[in-house]
Amino acid sequence: MARHQPLAIFAMPKRSKPTQLSRREFLAATSAALIGLGMKTDKPIAGEFVNESFQLGHMLRDRTPFPAPTKKEKFAIVIVGGGMAGLSAAWQLERRSFRDFVLLEMDKQPGGNSRWGENDITAYPWAAHYVPVPNAKATLVRELFEEFGALKNGKWEERYLCFTPQERLFIHGRWQDGIEPAVGLTDRDREQFKRFDDLMQRFRASNNFTIPTQLGMDITQKPDIAALDRVSIAEWLQQQKLDSPYLRWYVDYACRDDYGAPASATSAWAGAHYYASREHEEKGPLTWPEGNGWIARRLIKKLDSYIRRNALVHRITKDKNRYRILAGDTEFTADSVIFAAPTFLAPYLIEGMPPALTKDLVYSPWLTANLTLDRLPREIGGTETAWDNVIYNSPSLGYIVANHQSIRQHEDRSVWTYYWALAERSPLESRRFLLEKDWNYWKEAILTDLARIHPDIRDCVSRLDIMRMGHAMIRPSVGFMFSDSRRALTRPHAGLERLFFANSDLSGISIFEEAQYRGVTAAQQALAIISGSQESTAPTA
Amino acid sequence: MPALLFISILLIAACGLIYELIAGALASYLLGDSITQFSTIIGSYLFAMGIGSWLSRYISRGLVTQFIWIELMVAIFGGFSSSILFLTFAYTQGFRIILYFIVIAIGMLVGLEIPLLMRILKDRFEFRDVVAHVLTFDYLGALGASLLFPIVLVPQLGLVRSAVLFGIVNAAVALWGTFLFKDQLRSPQPLRVACLLVLTLLCGGMAGAKHVIAAADDSLYADEVIFAKDTRYQRIVLTRWRDDTRLFLNSHLQFSSRDEYRYHEALVHPGLAANSSARRVLVLGGGDGLAVREILKYPNIESITLVDLDRQMTDMFRSNDVLTKLNGGSLASPKLHVITADAFPWLEQSTDMFDFAIVDFPDPTNYSLGKLYTTAFYRLLAKHISANGMIVVQSTSPMFARQSYWTIVETLKQAGLQTFPYHTYVPSFGEWGFVLANAKGATYSPPRQLPKDLRFLTVSAIPELFEFPADMQPVAAEANRLNDQNLVRHYDREWRDISH
Ligand SMILES: Cc1cc2nc3c(=O)[nH]c(=O)nc-3n(C[C@H](O)[C@H](O)[C@H](O)COP(=O)(O)OP(=O)(O)OC[C@H]3O[C@@H](n4cnc5c(N)ncnc54)[C@H](O)[C@@H]3O)c2cc1C
Repeated sequence: MARHQPLAIFAMPKRSKPTQLSRREFLAATSAALIGLGMKTDKPIAGEFVNESFQLGHMLRDRTPFPAPTKKEKFAIVIVGGGMAGLSAAWQLERRSFRDFVLLEMDKQPGGNSRWGENDITAYPWAAHYVPVPNAKATLVRELFEEFGALKNGKWEERYLCFTPQERLFIHGRWQDGIEPAVGLTDRDREQFKRFDDLMQRFRASNNFTIPTQLGMDITQKPDIAALDRVSIAEWLQQQKLDSPYLRWYVDYACRDDYGAPASATSAWAGAHYYASREHEEKGPLTWPEGNGWIARRLIKKLDSYIRRNALVHRITKDKNRYRILAGDTEFTADSVIFAAPTFLAPYLIEGMPPALTKDLVYSPWLTANLTLDRLPREIGGTETAWDNVIYNSPSLGYIVANHQSIRQHEDRSVWTYYWALAERSPLESRRFLLEKDWNYWKEAILTDLARIHPDIRDCVSRLDIMRMGHAMIRPSVGFMFSDSRRALTRPHAGLERLFFANSDLSGISIFEEAQYRGVTAAQQALAIISGSQESTAPTA
Repeated sequence: MPALLFISILLIAACGLIYELIAGALASYLLGDSITQFSTIIGSYLFAMGIGSWLSRYISRGLVTQFIWIELMVAIFGGFSSSILFLTFAYTQGFRIILYFIVIAIGMLVGLEIPLLMRILKDRFEFRDVVAHVLTFDYLGALGASLLFPIVLVPQLGLVRSAVLFGIVNAAVALWGTFLFKDQLRSPQPLRVACLLVLTLLCGGMAGAKHVIAAADDSLYADEVIFAKDTRYQRIVLTRWRDDTRLFLNSHLQFSSRDEYRYHEALVHPGLAANSSARRVLVLGGGDGLAVREILKYPNIESITLVDLDRQMTDMFRSNDVLTKLNGGSLASPKLHVITADAFPWLEQSTDMFDFAIVDFPDPTNYSLGKLYTTAFYRLLAKHISANGMIVVQSTSPMFARQSYWTIVETLKQAGLQTFPYHTYVPSFGEWGFVLANAKGATYSPPRQLPKDLRFLTVSAIPELFEFPADMQPVAAEANRLNDQNLVRHYDREWRDISH
């Protein structure tokens, strides 16, 4: 009998985790690496550059002549660009029962930075992959989510909220929960994190940091808060005597993650916005296998009849009161244009566009990759793969697991979306570098980065597709948020009446909520003018 | 000086460094914190070498014989160091003690090597040449070893085989020594026999390296392992001692044949016996067929659907003699439909309705399993339950994991269900918990009749199961959700507290 009672009192509680056994699990996990032949196969990895738009971009930049149009069509409103901003403008027009419009998208698939892909394992994002749980102030976002069933009677659908474990950080040779560094900190570091949190809390209380940003900017900014836009967040940390390397990494990571910019090139106002704008009523964020493609997909389905695909707009001119929009073989005429393509393209497309308007726009170059994993790498030390997996002090931003939101208990395969904002050099240099290096170079760079945390990664990956984005997202450089040129973009222009810019660029911060807000606002402005009604519902911009 | 002699010095030096590296690597792998492990191991090793060098002064006669014995001892200690350490880690609590014992032993022996060699050689050659050459080759050997270790040995051979391989090298050098220094040896024959013995032993060790991990593994089960299989999803291990058969999944005990009837009667009957109109039953998990055995005691049940992730489990419990005797061949019942599927997605696509659902998953030891204990899961399950139907959930121990238990109860509540928590005593698990749940507005009263051939439950005992003594009473808890799996954290903490 005694033999059977190794723990006399507890008698090996059912399915429990006695220490001995976790040790055994550990042995099982590491044995393959330590004992027996490590099978070193140089597995071939397929892949290519995908969704390239450089060529079209360069054609526009170089003003390559396009064939003359053969067809004519007429609409009250033409939306240029089918990213989230363009789709949201269309969504708003449709909601207001306005049907006399068309949306022109150059790609075969609308979605822009919220585009997605799919293979036999799962759908996966190419860029935007989550939306923080919107608080009560984000009325437009909530409205959309209610329409698509993500929000019911004030409750968020559990399956769309990011599953546990959400985030982990590889630091000092091990994984920790969450991205805020917690391993290896001294008391001094902790004190600085605390002080930083307190400062952000104070900013939050100011109500100046909101999503959409415009709401908070409309409230008078206290001078010390507006002044934040005049220094970089890196300088600001210095001024506050916050020099903990962990804190500096954490803030720099946030800037690269949200803006594709290093802390030294990010406005302190925007840097603070990342922390001070978010107050969550529910543990999130909202995410789906295809990332924000989930939203794009539903908008596209709903608005399909208004969308023209493969319709690259190459010229917009205005004669008298009508706009002429040239796209593919068609000349569109419209009373009003909603320009939701990236704003830096405007001078190349729009006749009479004042160059001063776009001179302050700086864009961050990015690279994303989707890795198909035929088996999952071994996890050492019993940690489980999180949704977001970050490596401390890596130039990359880590990877997102596309099938993290699976309700399966067991997944054999996966797709990882790997993010890399090329923030180490200037945007111009990085862009050149991005174009210069071939697929093999980037593949090796990515696998080498990942091999630090998953030594067997090369044996797991069968495919690695890479998307290069020279102008991936607007960068809130120092001074940009409160610059006159940014504000000017949100207002009508002499000579360009009834043309409204709508891309998320206008906000200086590239996130779904901004794209939606800009798209909806532009739609409301266009509607107000077209219906000639006095009751302009457009928020003051 | 002859080149052969220096090659053996080089080899000895390489061996010495390799054992040190192996001990450091192994300790970092097993204990974590590689900086501490490597520093303390290198430190103790060098210190032990110092002791060895100092002790060398006490060896005055038969230098060559002594040197060869030392080589053989290094060969054995070093060659088997990884195997011994792995097994110690698996079998005992004394890993660190054995680790430092081995490191110090090898260190001392290696510390003896060079001083002895120098003294052996000093009569044959110029002393300054001896020092220069011996030390040069010593350091060269160390360089070779330190490069070989990460580039070739660990990736190609692993730690156990690398150690044995270098043990063989040490023993071979010893054997070689008996020829190199034969003029300084009075009777080389016994030494050569000893060398050959050690070599044979180490070659055997090389062949058996594979089994070391397996042995370490099996040792963790107290009883004889009668069946072990790694499936795609889990490691299934069956053990037996006399009349007691036990099933472990990923090392977690699932049942002991001595008292599993208590667990399975308590799981099935309080709910199922209370609903005489039940026709269709769903079992999630429970591929062992033991819950099905209990359900088959009701003639009114027309169909049973068993959903288990692992076909190998259900196959094994359908075909193995020992196991079919346990479950009474329940898995061969014509009423039973076995479905091999992941429960959550299966429920999502199924349109079947059931009068009773038994949720018998392994405990929420990780976030993957934890998904099967969430509001989202229970809400989905509830959609498959008929108006008067019920669900029962095995819910870990309300005594050892009180917070976890009441978290599961709260989760069912937050999924919109009424709950009826109860518990029973199963000797091999301890106090164990279950929760019955049904739709709001439905009723439940404990059964007034039970199937005849039960070994544990009686009609009068059932109402008592719903009474919780003071140390198991409800505690405040928050629901376990897909986006906030607090259950896994509670569970981990509570069971860890107990096993420490
Ligand atoms: C790598 C990366 C990750 C991101 N992650 C997130 C995230 O997780 N969450 C989040 O909220 N945001 C994220 N974003 C920000 C993302 O940019 C926004 O969420 C949003 O998708 C931007 O939408 P938009 O419509 O303003 O711009 P875009 O998506 O750039 O849309 C512009 C559209 O215009 C089209 N177009 C361009 N030129 C022409 C032309 N001449 N004629 C016709 N059509 C044209 C383009 O094809 C495109 O579809 C990420 C961005 C990047 C680059």
